[in-house]
Amino acid sequence: MLRIGIDTGGTYTDFCAVDAGRVHTWKVPSTPGDPGSALRRGLRELLEHVGGARDVEVVYGSTIATNALLERRGGRTALVTTAGFEDVLAIGRQARPSLYDLQVERAAPLVARRWRRGVHESIAPDGSVEQELARDEAEAVAEALARAGIESVAVCLLSSYANPRHERMLERALRARGLQVSSSFRLLPEFREYERTSTTVVNAYLLPRVGPALRALRQRAHVRRLSVLQSNGGRLSLQAAATEPVRLLLSGPVGGAVGAWESARRHGLRRAIGFDMGGTSTDVCLLLGGPPERLHENEVAGQPVRVPMLDIHTVGAGGGSIARCDAGGALQVGPESAGADPGPACLGRGSEPTVTDAHVVLERIRPDRYLGGRLALDPQRARAIVARLARRLQLDVQRTALGIIRVANATMEKALRVVSLERGHDPRELALLSFGGAGGLHAADLVRSLRMRGALVPAEASVLSALGMLYAHVERDYARTLLQRAPAGDLQRHFEPLLKQARRDLGREGVTRPRLLRRVDLRYVGQSHELTVPWGPHFEHDFHRLHATRFGFSAADEPVEIVTVRVRAIGDVSPPPPVRSGRAAARVPRFERVSMWLEGGARPRRREVRVVGAEALPRQVLHGPLLVLRDDTTIWVPADFDAQRRARGALWLEPRRSLRTEESA
Amino acid sequence: MNRRTSFDPVSVELWKHRFAAVTAEMGVALRRTAYSSNIKERRDFSTALFDAHGRMLAQGEDIPVHLGSMPMSVEAALREAPPGPGDVVLLNDPFRGGTHLPDITLVSGVFRRGRRAPLFYVANRAHHADVGGMRAGSMPLATEIYQEGLRIPPLFLVRGGHEQGDVLRLILANVRTPDERRGDLRAQIAANRVGERRLVEIVAEHGAQQVERHANALLDYSEQMTRQLLRRTPDGRYHAVDFLDDDGVGCGPVRIEVLVEIQGGRARVDFAGSAPQVAGGMNAIEAIARSAVFYVVRALVAEAIPSNEGCMRPLRVVVPSRSVVSARPPAAVAGGNVETSQRLVDVLLKALRPALPDRVPADSSGSMNNLTIGGIDRDGAPYTYYETMAGGMGARPGAHGLSGVHTHMTNSLNTPIEALHHQFPFRVTRYALRRGSGGGGRWRGGEGLVREYRFELPAQVTVLSERRTQAPCGAAGGGAGATGRNRLWRGGRWRRLPGKFQIEVTPGDRLRIETPGGGGWGRA
Repeated sequence: MLRIGIDTGGTYTDFCAVDAGRVHTWKVPSTPGDPGSALRRGLRELLEHVGGARDVEVVYGSTIATNALLERRGGRTALVTTAGFEDVLAIGRQARPSLYDLQVERAAPLVARRWRRGVHESIAPDGSVEQELARDEAEAVAEALARAGIESVAVCLLSSYANPRHERMLERALRARGLQVSSSFRLLPEFREYERTSTTVVNAYLLPRVGPALRALRQRAHVRRLSVLQSNGGRLSLQAAATEPVRLLLSGPVGGAVGAWESARRHGLRRAIGFDMGGTSTDVCLLLGGPPERLHENEVAGQPVRVPMLDIHTVGAGGGSIARCDAGGALQVGPESAGADPGPACLGRGSEPTVTDAHVVLERIRPDRYLGGRLALDPQRARAIVARLARRLQLDVQRTALGIIRVANATMEKALRVVSLERGHDPRELALLSFGGAGGLHAADLVRSLRMRGALVPAEASVLSALGMLYAHVERDYARTLLQRAPAGDLQRHFEPLLKQARRDLGREGVTRPRLLRRVDLRYVGQSHELTVPWGPHFEHDFHRLHATRFGFSAADEPVEIVTVRVRAIGDVSPPPPVRSGRAAARVPRFERVSMWLEGGARPRRREVRVVGAEALPRQVLHGPLLVLRDDTTIWVPADFDAQRRARGALWLEPRRSLRTEESA
Repeated sequence: MNRRTSFDPVSVELWKHRFAAVTAEMGVALRRTAYSSNIKERRDFSTALFDAHGRMLAQGEDIPVHLGSMPMSVEAALREAPPGPGDVVLLNDPFRGGTHLPDITLVSGVFRRGRRAPLFYVANRAHHADVGGMRAGSMPLATEIYQEGLRIPPLFLVRGGHEQGDVLRLILANVRTPDERRGDLRAQIAANRVGERRLVEIVAEHGAQQVERHANALLDYSEQMTRQLLRRTPDGRYHAVDFLDDDGVGCGPVRIEVLVEIQGGRARVDFAGSAPQVAGGMNAIEAIARSAVFYVVRALVAEAIPSNEGCMRPLRVVVPSRSVVSARPPAAVAGGNVETSQRLVDVLLKALRPALPDRVPADSSGSMNNLTIGGIDRDGAPYTYYETMAGGMGARPGAHGLSGVHTHMTNSLNTPIEALHHQFPFRVTRYALRRGSGGGGRWRGGEGLVREYRFELPAQVTVLSERRTQAPCGAAGGGAGATGRNRLWRGGRWRRLPGKFQIEVTPGDRLRIETPGGGGWGRA
């Protein structure tokens, strides 16, 4: 069995496979209209490369769910609630997202008023039925929605977590009419109606798009076993992913975050920012001695979603971001992207200038060595199209190109600030772990503007996201609300059904001996937030202790309540071996001198720059300006930076020390 | 101070977030360890951080009405009961920097081990669902503060790390729900502890001098940003008058008047002409007037500047003594903090509308629609419940107002209906946007809310609400928002209730609160 991680970006699709202790990587242009086509081509090429066809298992990071939500291209979705509470989704928690912003906006709800339908029923908090839901009413609502051409329905009734009877009834009625349904008691059986409703609605909204897209993809790519990365860093079978697409909202960037942490760890970087610059967007995350923090609730596109997610921040700037002149005459870059189709102008079809074209104009991307020479570039076309923009801006071509890069850098710098400064971490103490196809060309500029320690560009930089997927465990969480005073007799009894379910589900994912972690959520009677401690003979004692460490006091005299018992089931995978430095870049001589446009003084000027293949790099420190070519990416070392080769083919960039001393003096 | 300081942009950003992170962390600790739904679910609290001189350095993004008043609480604590190492000082006296009696503030010093000179002070303020007095929930229609609940001057709740049992017992003996109060007070102590611990770590890492230098730079920075706003505002005298519906005990409308004079990057805000203090509990104390001014300026600056003492430096606030904006004992004050504070913002924005026509929105709903319910539950245990309801936001030049959202001086959340049903012997039977309540215009005002309750056991119910007779105004020709309405279902029919009332409900009674919409902006 060959395990292959695949990362579909807006511009390229990356492949990573482990075979016989070696990591193989591959890259093909994405085919956004039909992503399976790029998968199929890439898989075929990769398999030829590793020596023939065989049984493969694909781990896939998908932006299908994310994009459908961001671009509001989900299903035609309705919501069924308890009558009188149809507006809970629109009211939210009645708070504004920003305290002092008079222009504050809130994202519109995913389901408009006319498709939010109430049914007459009532379930008491203890689960007893106070008012039966009439079967006729359930059928009538289902009928009306089906007739109106609704595709999917979110069902969220008050207190359904205590008794799902009425949600089940609606579910049956809706399914019988061919509607797709997401019920809140299955997805998030917890109290707090707004968060549960919002999460269920997002899931229902994605149902009609994500499952079919994933199935089509699997078929098109001729893969039998496909699992998808979920936002928490674990993976899910296609079947599970299709019914709970809300778990895939960070599926795309999560592979990179996991890969970045593994790479940082192997290179001994304890405090770093993972910086993944792709063709369409840039994802950043903070790495403090571990993978990014796991959030239990997050907002995506203004919609609160209560499923675990890694803490990753995304901005719309990448190699394919389009530059334009706005109404006020200012240069704007992104968030629109040329993507893979038409792609940057230099690839021959695009007619809008992109960040990549700017690099081509400045000759930092060498036309004959793009993707190891596998794609031919058209530098004339890039220059002509950047020149068109330059005329509108009344600048020369080189200054326009430098301007495009500076504006893109400013957007990315903002993202880096969010995960460092805004969380109280000084970027001056952090290193940049740069990856993604375009990262190496921008890393040094960003290090300079945030005065970071330096940037590490690992050998596997351009496929790190795909590689990260090979680290993904199968991981599922199970919970059951108890709300009983501790010690609640035989707790083991309450864990049993969860353990059974976990073994069954993971069995289906091909895991025979899962790791099963048992935990309990506890609080003092009267509180409504819990602390989670591992289940064991001293769990109550552990709770008092944790409460004291976290909040400065504990109350051994106060009664403790067991709110929830939890099981986390993990099917471990063996991590891929370290990547050895890639093959030598095609036809790169040891050193070559070329002349290119550099920033300097009032206007860019031409200067001699050394170009070197990554394989040919000596161990000693090299001064910029320098262009380091790899098979699949280029690294730019500006004049005020030094570069040094590190273990396993990584490259370390650092502001030149002499310059630094001058600056601080 | 007239020099233009140059700031290191990275340091300003970094320390702004560092200090803000401390207050945010205090807020998390408070919310996660609190017992009452008003604190743990509705987040009706705020946290703040002060330097060794009592100057506010940072405040959590919580409740703006606490902004200008927290510094006065700290000032009172430092004057009357300065906290030493391991001490926590408690107070709620509105005439010593409090706001109204349910808001209890805890102040602690931050010290290096073995030292007696403080590095910082941390404080947090939380709205307790009961502090005694004539009605459950301590938000009654009173005519003297003594009826509103227990009034506590600064005193030591914790001394040298030891909870002062006598103080705690005295407080708990005077409130309806002592267990919940004890839990909430411990949560407040925890919040200060968390703040102390983080600050001690920060000082250990960066050194006290560095931290102080950055703190001062942040104060200067906020000052400079505020001055810039005032400089961008045309110099002039801006005047406005608005009214509260009534004082709840038969008097009204109640006049609020302001004159804002802006000149050369400074502003003088004078509330002369406002009504003398009223018999009912709609009196605001000076700290609230300062908070309203602070909020308006902070919102108009339109940049993410730290909320600290620096913002106040270019402002001078003048209040007529013994007036509805600067009450003195024995005035009742429960509604001043929650209702009059909103009107103060309305009148300030109204005054500044001609100066900043493209920035200032139409009137928002202008009421927090306060509801308190108290009684004895099925198990014979006393309970008290407090919540506020949002309304429509005023339309902005260029955007509709948001619907069903808290505006201006508060941003507390709603109580999840499921949380409420778990705990209390009444039900919410309807929670909806109030269709058609927003003012018309080029940009429409936001819609108010409808919230309906059904009572299962006898209970005391008190409502303090505004904009029931005086509608939120539109701007630039936009229409007014709908006034709010309060109604009771009893004996088979709906009866109209006034904006402020206290009643005894019986099982089967239903209460419906319809909150005001926001004003529209521009002609349709």
